Amino acid sequence: MKKNPPPQHHITELLAEWSDGNQSALDELYPLVYEELHRLARRYMSRERKGHTLQTTALINEAYVRLVDQRNVRWANRSHFFAISAQIMRRILIDHARRHAYAKRGGGAQQVSLEEAATVTPDQSLDLLRLDEALKSLSEMDPRRGQVVELRFFGGLNNEEIAGVLKISENTVTRDWNMARAWLYQQLTGSGAN
Amino acid sequence: MTPERWQQVSRIFKSAISLDGEARAAYVAGQCGVDESLRVEVEKLIQSHQRASEENFIDGAAVEAGAALLIVDDENGPQPSLNKGQQFGSYVILNPLGAGGMGEVYLARDSRLDRTVALKVLSPDVSSDKRRMQRFWQEAKIASSLNQPNILTIFEFGEVEGLTFLATEFIDGETLRDHINDKRLKLAEILDIAIQVLAALDAAHEARIVHRDIKPENVMIRRRDHVVKVLDFGLAKATEKRLSVLTEQESEAATEFKTAPHTVMGTVNYMSPEQAQAHAVDERTDIWSTGVMIYEMVSGLMPFKGATTSHTIVQILEKDPVPLTRFTQRRAPEELQRIVSKALAKSPDERYQTAKDMLIDLRNLKKRLDVEAEIDRTSSPETPRVTVIDDRAPQKRRVLMIALIGMAVATAAIFAFSIWRASRARTTPAVAPPVATEERTLTYWITVQKFRNNKAYKDPFTLAGEINFEPDYQIRINVRSPQPGYLYVLNEGPPEGSAQPEFVVLFPSSTANEGSPLLAADQVVQIPQQTWFKFDKQQGTEKLWLVFSKDAVPELEAVKEFAGKRTAGLITDSARNTAVQNFLTTHSANKPEYEKGAKQTTLKTADKLLVYAVKLEHH
Repeated sequence: MKKNPPPQHHITELLAEWSDGNQSALDELYPLVYEELHRLARRYMSRERKGHTLQTTALINEAYVRLVDQRNVRWANRSHFFAISAQIMRRILIDHARRHAYAKRGGGAQQVSLEEAATVTPDQSLDLLRLDEALKSLSEMDPRRGQVVELRFFGGLNNEEIAGVLKISENTVTRDWNMARAWLYQQLTGSGAN
Repeated sequence: MTPERWQQVSRIFKSAISLDGEARAAYVAGQCGVDESLRVEVEKLIQSHQRASEENFIDGAAVEAGAALLIVDDENGPQPSLNKGQQFGSYVILNPLGAGGMGEVYLARDSRLDRTVALKVLSPDVSSDKRRMQRFWQEAKIASSLNQPNILTIFEFGEVEGLTFLATEFIDGETLRDHINDKRLKLAEILDIAIQVLAALDAAHEARIVHRDIKPENVMIRRRDHVVKVLDFGLAKATEKRLSVLTEQESEAATEFKTAPHTVMGTVNYMSPEQAQAHAVDERTDIWSTGVMIYEMVSGLMPFKGATTSHTIVQILEKDPVPLTRFTQRRAPEELQRIVSKALAKSPDERYQTAKDMLIDLRNLKKRLDVEAEIDRTSSPETPRVTVIDDRAPQKRRVLMIALIGMAVATAAIFAFSIWRASRARTTPAVAPPVATEERTLTYWITVQKFRNNKAYKDPFTLAGEINFEPDYQIRINVRSPQPGYLYVLNEGPPEGSAQPEFVVLFPSSTANEGSPLLAADQVVQIPQQTWFKFDKQQGTEKLWLVFSKDAVPELEAVKEFAGKRTAGLITDSARNTAVQNFLTTHSANKPEYEKGAKQTTLKTADKLLVYAVKLEHH
């Protein structure tokens, strides 16, 4: 059972403080948004059926509407919210993937399930943990491209929205995405120069 | 790569990918000049770019890729709850009392009125469905107006910061379920309990409230005076079990009403025939459920209970339970049998029409027995006891069999079913899966492919059956039968001993046999169809379940869909996983004949259902 959802005005204030540059507001904001997104994601997930694809943006939008007082909101808050939500979705998924990988490795119990080798398509076999690692390396070299990937892949934002959040042109987003994706692909498939 | 190098590569890459073929090669060569390694790096990245686009690499949102993980964790993960001492509106949480499908129950103190209450907080999953909550509010409102000593009093219901709660009187006692399990009930006590339950129903039905979920778990007996309290009037509608033809919408709704983790699964045992068929229900459904409860208290057995949920439902719809007068452990008078069988009439029109009618009959019986007991006590010990044995000859009757296409047993049990009838003689009551006269034969052999460095090494070879496999062996299992039938193949893990085995659906899958489990006679199926199974690093034994049946198996039909999912067959729905586990456990007890030949192994059974676990040991 969920604890009381945090009051809207509080989150709105925190968002405003954060977009004004107060980093400690983020510390307070993070767990609140994490919980809400996690709850929504699970709910959406449990409804997932063949032919329905989950829209991350819809999910984040719902969290946004639920958490943020719409009357006292500035547009900048919204893009900040999307940015932090993408980050949080990444955390949620990676946390789950890590726990799952741990359980698969044994996590106490002996694991003896058959593995169907090489039958899955690249998308299905996508290793979120390795992708996360590669994305970290990318962000060290090139923080902006790292963010583009985070917003698009984890946040489910489209290029136009990403351009808005990062205050760059849509063309730049497209170029950043192409480069970042090629590099990540190379890292994950081992077809790289290294 | 250094940031400088990265910038360099990135600058060339950016322009290069907008060019084609030779123009691109020329551009890259021109930009890189003598720096050969830079050229190689850019070329490789361009190649990766092309492949990544072709394969739609990370094109979908991550949530999709991680969806399965979230579901799995959701089913296993603990849920946060209210803490001791926490303020909740005007209530202070004292202690958690338990959890159920619709939420958690706490012992709490109402600080305004300074009284102790039971506080039921509905889980957000339940309370987030507006349509159902609307109904819940309506009924809770009426239920809270009920004022009858056998109905749990609702003090207040409302919302605290988005969470729906219900404050009721707190009963220090135990549920009838625990009461039945703890001690052997005397007949007088059984009648006493039944009379109080019916008194509660009578009052509720007067107010046009149908309980819909009468069962021992929803009846409490107060410790100090044994007063019976019926719980959860009005709640059942918001969380009711439903059996109906599976539609996309309904199955979505059902998922939301899944039983919370670590709680007791709902049961279909008390469902009336009209509930089981998803027809409209009225007061008379409560009469039925009370009849089931009385039957259980008297005989210690459920009147309708099959090996699987589908069998139970067959019995609910078609079977007349063994008369109570046949059980010798408790003296059940003929009159009680008459009352119970009237409550358990399949057609609501033939049942007691009101709780009051049944209540009157039970009260009269109780009075009569009290008088008889009095005479018994005062007269000589030789007085013959009133035991009547019903010895009507067993009658030929029809038994329904149900094929369930999709099934989920939880508080929300939903399935689609098709029904056909078959005549057969009466068999023993309680657990009575249909008797079959057919036989099943299934032949299997194993193909092995050695692998070195992830590459196939030498030609594959076949084995008649299991050996102790080497870690670098990858295998396929091949199956054939001279009869047509439904084939299901599942892998079980982790091994026995851990809390709950997980099952992975290997066949049918979307890539094999066009997703259908139905095989033609002599059709050979190769699993997996295109690739191989590989063993994981750890030494152990794999269990590969082969199920070959004349008819579709509802428990396995219900999990087919997982084969096409991202989790590669893992059944991520715990209710359905449990149903599969129960099915395999129950039916593997009947071991098929096993004959290992030179080229293949043949399994045979006289039943129309063959269940066998191939055990694959590996180093």
